[in-house]
Amino acid sequence: MLEARGITRRFARTLALDGVDFHARAGEIHALVGENGAGKSTLIKIFAGRLKPDAGRVTIAGEPLAAGSANRARAAGVAAVYQSPMLFERMTWEENLALAGFGDGTGARDPRAAAARAAALARDLGFVLPPAGATLERRSVADRVRLEIIRALGADPRVLILDEPTGLLAPAELAAFLAMLRRLRGAGRAVVIVTHKLAEAIAVADRITVLRRGRRVAECRAAATDAAELAHLMLGDLASAQRAAPVADARIEGQAVADPGTTDPRCAAPVLTVEALTLDDGARRLLDSIGFTLTAGEIAGVAGVDGNGQAELIEVLAGMRTPGAGRIVMGRADDDASSGGAARSALRSAGGLAVIAQNRDSDGLILDMTLWENILLARPVRTRFTRRGWLQRSRAAAFCGELLERFQIRTATGPAGLAGALSGGNRQRLAVARAMAGAPRVIVAHDIGRGLDLRAAEAVRQMLREFAAAGGAVMLISGDLDELLELCGRLYVLSGGRLIETAAGDRDPARLGLLMAGAAS
Amino acid sequence: MSAPRSAPARGGSAIARLAAAIRPVAALILFAVVIAIVLALVLLTLGASPVEVFADLWRGAFGDWLALTDTLVKSTPLIFTGLAVAVAFQGALWNIGAEGQLLIGALAAGAIGPALGGWPHGAAIVAMLAAGAGGGALWGAIAGGLRARREVNEVISTIMLNFVAAQVLSFAVHGPLMEASGAFPASAPIAAAATFDVYLAPSRLNFGMLLAAGLAVACYLGLFHTAAGFQLRALGRNRRASAFFGIPIARMTIGTLALAGAIAGVGGAVQVSAITHRLYETLSPGWGYEAIAVALVARLNPLAIVPAAVLFGALDNGSQAMQRAAGVSPELVYVIQALVILTLLAFDASATGALRAAILGAPAAGPDDPGAPPAALPPAAPIATRDA
Repeated sequence: MLEARGITRRFARTLALDGVDFHARAGEIHALVGENGAGKSTLIKIFAGRLKPDAGRVTIAGEPLAAGSANRARAAGVAAVYQSPMLFERMTWEENLALAGFGDGTGARDPRAAAARAAALARDLGFVLPPAGATLERRSVADRVRLEIIRALGADPRVLILDEPTGLLAPAELAAFLAMLRRLRGAGRAVVIVTHKLAEAIAVADRITVLRRGRRVAECRAAATDAAELAHLMLGDLASAQRAAPVADARIEGQAVADPGTTDPRCAAPVLTVEALTLDDGARRLLDSIGFTLTAGEIAGVAGVDGNGQAELIEVLAGMRTPGAGRIVMGRADDDASSGGAARSALRSAGGLAVIAQNRDSDGLILDMTLWENILLARPVRTRFTRRGWLQRSRAAAFCGELLERFQIRTATGPAGLAGALSGGNRQRLAVARAMAGAPRVIVAHDIGRGLDLRAAEAVRQMLREFAAAGGAVMLISGDLDELLELCGRLYVLSGGRLIETAAGDRDPARLGLLMAGAAS
Repeated sequence: MSAPRSAPARGGSAIARLAAAIRPVAALILFAVVIAIVLALVLLTLGASPVEVFADLWRGAFGDWLALTDTLVKSTPLIFTGLAVAVAFQGALWNIGAEGQLLIGALAAGAIGPALGGWPHGAAIVAMLAAGAGGGALWGAIAGGLRARREVNEVISTIMLNFVAAQVLSFAVHGPLMEASGAFPASAPIAAAATFDVYLAPSRLNFGMLLAAGLAVACYLGLFHTAAGFQLRALGRNRRASAFFGIPIARMTIGTLALAGAIAGVGGAVQVSAITHRLYETLSPGWGYEAIAVALVARLNPLAIVPAAVLFGALDNGSQAMQRAAGVSPELVYVIQALVILTLLAFDASATGALRAAILGAPAAGPDDPGAPPAALPPAAPIATRDA
């Protein structure tokens, strides 16, 4: 169906793709796997007409595809869903769909027709749509991804390309979504998924292409390979059995993972206490009496599907929102009594709490500022490199250079380069490096592994483990159960704005999935 | 690309710095050539001789000592208002109100000016400038407060405040501040102690130009070398991330618009102190609006505001000579100004990018994920194509 030969693409001095062949056959799901920076995104952008290759050609069902035209690609039946949703923020989701020509097929851009058709599609997929007439500004990333998938399917494409589509779907949605992919394949389409999750690739795909540093290193049938082999192909000699191991028991296989065996957190000194935190938006209760303690050296996990209070909890902890009631205290609850606004300013000025945003491109980084300026966004770092109001630019840049070195952030330009020039994985490393650079006592991280490949995700996890081992406390908010089970001691579930601590017997993806969906503990 | 990260970054920075220094100059030359060709075509279609018109324009702007100094004098208010626009724009605060801020600054200075008779010269000047800064800051802070506290779009509020300022000035010179004879809508002249010294008479060159240039340097340092300026630029580039990292958005909004207003207000005080010596309704020919063009041409860089303002001042000044000598209508100057802005914006998008690529080898328009450079690819990467 979609065949590419000798695709080469260069960005300035960087050879992103080097003579890559790719063949997605009709009636098959084809997984494209590779590390961050392997060229996956570049390749699918070429398929979708968003980038022009320097050499090579693409054919759809034997017809050559005009390079570098998104409209021609769409007309030829290629639809793509990207990792960062591309939607109109200030319009309702119905209008977003209608603008994409989604509707009754007559080409009329009618939001009502779009909504009706989307509802039918969402039922098929098992998706939950946002309330009628909601704009996208305050919707979660997961909502946006779901909407993009529906939008892409609306064009009834011959080739459907999905870039990391499952990262933000709830376990319950995941099964329906994968079933939907298989059904789409049955209709004679070619489905291409880009993924880091090798187990998922093996489970859902018929065929797998592995990219490494801009070259295709393998194409194989999914049935004839396993996660360890794929990891080896992706990473080269650097892959070890130990790295591949946690990937093998993914949520699809539904196995329980052993407790990582951290020290009993109850014995250690509490570094962050949150009590009865409540946040309302009009009549809606977004956070309902949230309470937890974090102790030195622990990594606690909060499982849950986005839209259940995750973003709000993060915003309260980051000081963007003032809670209606409750207390946030660094240390033990009776150490000092502060609440609401006073608490967050105390947290901030002490530099005790660092928050890593979920959406690194819009909340975490300023893409058209330099790397060292992005490091300076963290208040403790900014304070450190400010003397009587003057920025110490060269010292800050040198410090940023050290961070790039220490956390192995790959950049062609050094500290003076723009953050927007980094690949996704390196952007996340920069965000984590910055959080640690302020020497906080607590790090709260939201979806830290999103869009990261094996090596980068493992590197980020290792950073968190080392931070905890050195006496810091980490709270990891995530929908990725594998990550939570592997990394966390205590596990909570955030569902419908309520935080529940799970029992030891709940350490099982299926059981956690039920809790995330709102089943009582 | 792990090994060559630190060393070539140092070596490259010298080249990059040189390229960064050459780039604007090269772009400017290219830009001047293009604009000359476009203008020549426009003039030819109008039946005028391009050579003659350009010669008159040049003579009027820079032809002799008097023309040159007058160009600088005419540029001075544009520097102040251009800075007022650029500083706010850096924070994505769209200050269209430099006109009103300048007028209120002039009003405040013109109101106290006549009463400064017994003051020492230096103190009187400082009082004039402080009054101008205070008036402008108040005008800017109103828009800032509306934005920060009540979510009123500052584009609308600053435009509206321009009209209010013009009416307040008109009321003042027709009413409470009207000169004693009551014959003209103008205020009483300011005291001699409050007037700026003129250098190198008969030119009108004065301390205001130096003050404006100094303020441009101060704005540059403030924006790029202080923590407050960093926070402002961060706010301008990503409001959400700025909120996430605890940048005090409301305080920055009010403070920045007040500062911008103060800069424009000082410009108004300078104009009264150095040139008009009293208040008129028609004090400003629209400097606050022209300032937006000046700021955009300077790409919001305070240092570039000075030459950009001189360019616009020269066009203003030269056009009068051109009109007298070549018999070309003064409206042509507006055409020229519009062409200058449009050409520059066009250059901003394409030519500077291409030039940067040519000089630095960096991509003109970077993709969001260029991928990691495959510099250290293992030599024998096996292509294992297994197909069952």
